[in-house]
Amino acid sequence: MRSHSPAVSCLFGFLVCAVGAFAASLPPDGSYRPLPAAPFDEVKGDDEAQKPQVMQRQRHLLEERYDLSDRAVPNVLMSGGRKTVQGGVRVKLPSGVTWDSLAKLSPDEIRERGVLPEGFFPLPHVKQATGGQVFPNEEIDEIQRQEQRNLRRFDVDFDLPDHFTPEFPAPIFLTTHPELGDVSRGQLVTIKNFYELFVGILTPVQLEGMRLLLTPFPQEEFNQTEDRKSADQSLGVTCLDCHANFHTNGAFHQTPDVRPQAARFRLDTVSLRGLFNQQIHGSKRSLRSVEDFSQFEQRTAYFNGDQMSAQRKGVHLPNRFDQVPMMAQMQNIIDFPPAPKLDPTGHLDPMKATPQELAGEQLFMGKGRCSSCHVPETAFMDNNMHDLQLERFYRIGQTRNGLVILPDGPIKTLTLRGIKDSPPYLHDGRLLTLADTVEFFNLVLGLKLSQPEKENLVAYLLTL
Amino acid sequence: MTRLPLLSLLAVSLCAYAAAAQSTDPAKPAPGNPAGSPSDTRETVPGVPAPGQANVPDRAFLRAAALGGRAEVQFGKLAETKAASEAVQNFARRMIHDHSAANDRLSSLGAHVNVALPPDQLDPDHKAIRARLDSESGANFDKEYVNTQIADHQATAQLFEYEIGSGQDAQLKAFASDELPVIFEHLQMARALSATLAAETMASASRSPN
Repeated sequence: MRSHSPAVSCLFGFLVCAVGAFAASLPPDGSYRPLPAAPFDEVKGDDEAQKPQVMQRQRHLLEERYDLSDRAVPNVLMSGGRKTVQGGVRVKLPSGVTWDSLAKLSPDEIRERGVLPEGFFPLPHVKQATGGQVFPNEEIDEIQRQEQRNLRRFDVDFDLPDHFTPEFPAPIFLTTHPELGDVSRGQLVTIKNFYELFVGILTPVQLEGMRLLLTPFPQEEFNQTEDRKSADQSLGVTCLDCHANFHTNGAFHQTPDVRPQAARFRLDTVSLRGLFNQQIHGSKRSLRSVEDFSQFEQRTAYFNGDQMSAQRKGVHLPNRFDQVPMMAQMQNIIDFPPAPKLDPTGHLDPMKATPQELAGEQLFMGKGRCSSCHVPETAFMDNNMHDLQLERFYRIGQTRNGLVILPDGPIKTLTLRGIKDSPPYLHDGRLLTLADTVEFFNLVLGLKLSQPEKENLVAYLLTL
Repeated sequence: MTRLPLLSLLAVSLCAYAAAAQSTDPAKPAPGNPAGSPSDTRETVPGVPAPGQANVPDRAFLRAAALGGRAEVQFGKLAETKAASEAVQNFARRMIHDHSAANDRLSSLGAHVNVALPPDQLDPDHKAIRARLDSESGANFDKEYVNTQIADHQATAQLFEYEIGSGQDAQLKAFASDELPVIFEHLQMARALSATLAAETMASASRSPN
């Protein structure tokens, strides 16, 4: 403890009193990224030695929470026709309760008895203390093949089994060319191939926007400094390394909007499909335009909301008057996948839908209360943020694999168009299947749905 | 020869410790970012700091938690006798009880990481709070005590979260993880008390003839 002269202490005490401040201001690294305390080789050696344990911890957590087996919904594929959709409720129940008995309990009873299923709790990052972007292996391998750019981390790997991630590479649908269907030609769009794939389809402005979205820039874990998690000095990451083919590949990160580190919840990459209809962007940031979003991701997705760290590792500030609008224009022409059973107002066509799907739609609009936020007429969003207050069901402040479980607060309503293409679900990916989401909302909203009703809702969600 | 069994015993217990320190149980303290550990950190096995290897956040946490915990007990003892409301007295008793137990555990952890805890006296910030509490009485004291409790528990919750994310010593991190839900419980109690006191003030104001 440093000592102060009595006069200084008195003055300090007076100042504290005068401004009403309190003790226990956290050290600066409560908010800012600290500089590494050890050389790169030592950190890398330790990280590599820890890695098996780190991955095993997360695997245990996932196995405790979920049935991770590969069980696809029969006869349903994602929009590109290349990947099945996982089915069934995967969240495991605590012993002594059933889904029905749980639904009969009040939030207070569930909290006091500690019976909220583990899979409904926020999902931790695979290594909470370090955090940062983690890419699925398919993305890492394909970027290595096409660009010889390394997205592999030496401290962590992607944690979810492949069958719970979106189709890769995802199909791309353009609002400017609905007649063409998927224009990806089954390829992952990169800086290497975008020009030959899209010249003649896109305008020069859109092409330049796409080039910028595919250009690597330094990022917190992928850069040239000693504070990186790639073995080699990295060229950085691109916007579409996560939003692969303008959709999502399931890459995850932590919210840049919360401190300290232990409280930063996981973020599952959101799809960019239908961005043109979206009035707010970012799960918690509520950015008001695609332009703001494109610009500010350099501060958030790239550098965790820490402009100081960005300055050191290589800041990239896209020009707001020219480059940012081009990036925005490109994103604004990404369409949802076709939903052949929906009419132009977002309702099921009774001539095309099955009785079960139609029954599901009734529930969606009525007893299920889904449409109060996911409004069919506005692309199944309401352009608002809502607080589900899940903390009614659990004791706050518990720790799960380094993540302190706190209330999430208001989170943006995400679209449900093309929802079967973008597992896992919720902003952090804590729910692996659509059946899980139905059980989750059944409990959170106190819906008391019957088993057939739950199945009808899932059947409906698959048509969107 | 006679040393061999002893050595093997030592080896076995070291392995057992390493296994415990490398727990794959997600409920146990998670490994930190090694970039936050100083270069001279001793390790049990590569990547796992030896017991008692505190880093800078561990030390900052230990000091602030010790100062805050002691202040809680001292303010609690004051409020137990001075508070006008029985609910506030009960809250104060709970603070004395919970924080005394936590302080004891923290003292032993201080010895474990070989960090001297600060002298048993209030730091300047808590001294200023104490001065304000000493100058108030009756319902005003209750209000002042509860409001400072809210602010102190808010700061404490952030401090404990900081240790969980940035600390290195598994025992200190386990302490922070164990105590954090209790700190939030205290915060919720203090917030509820504050609302009750405000409602009582309103009610008594409306009853008064003026």
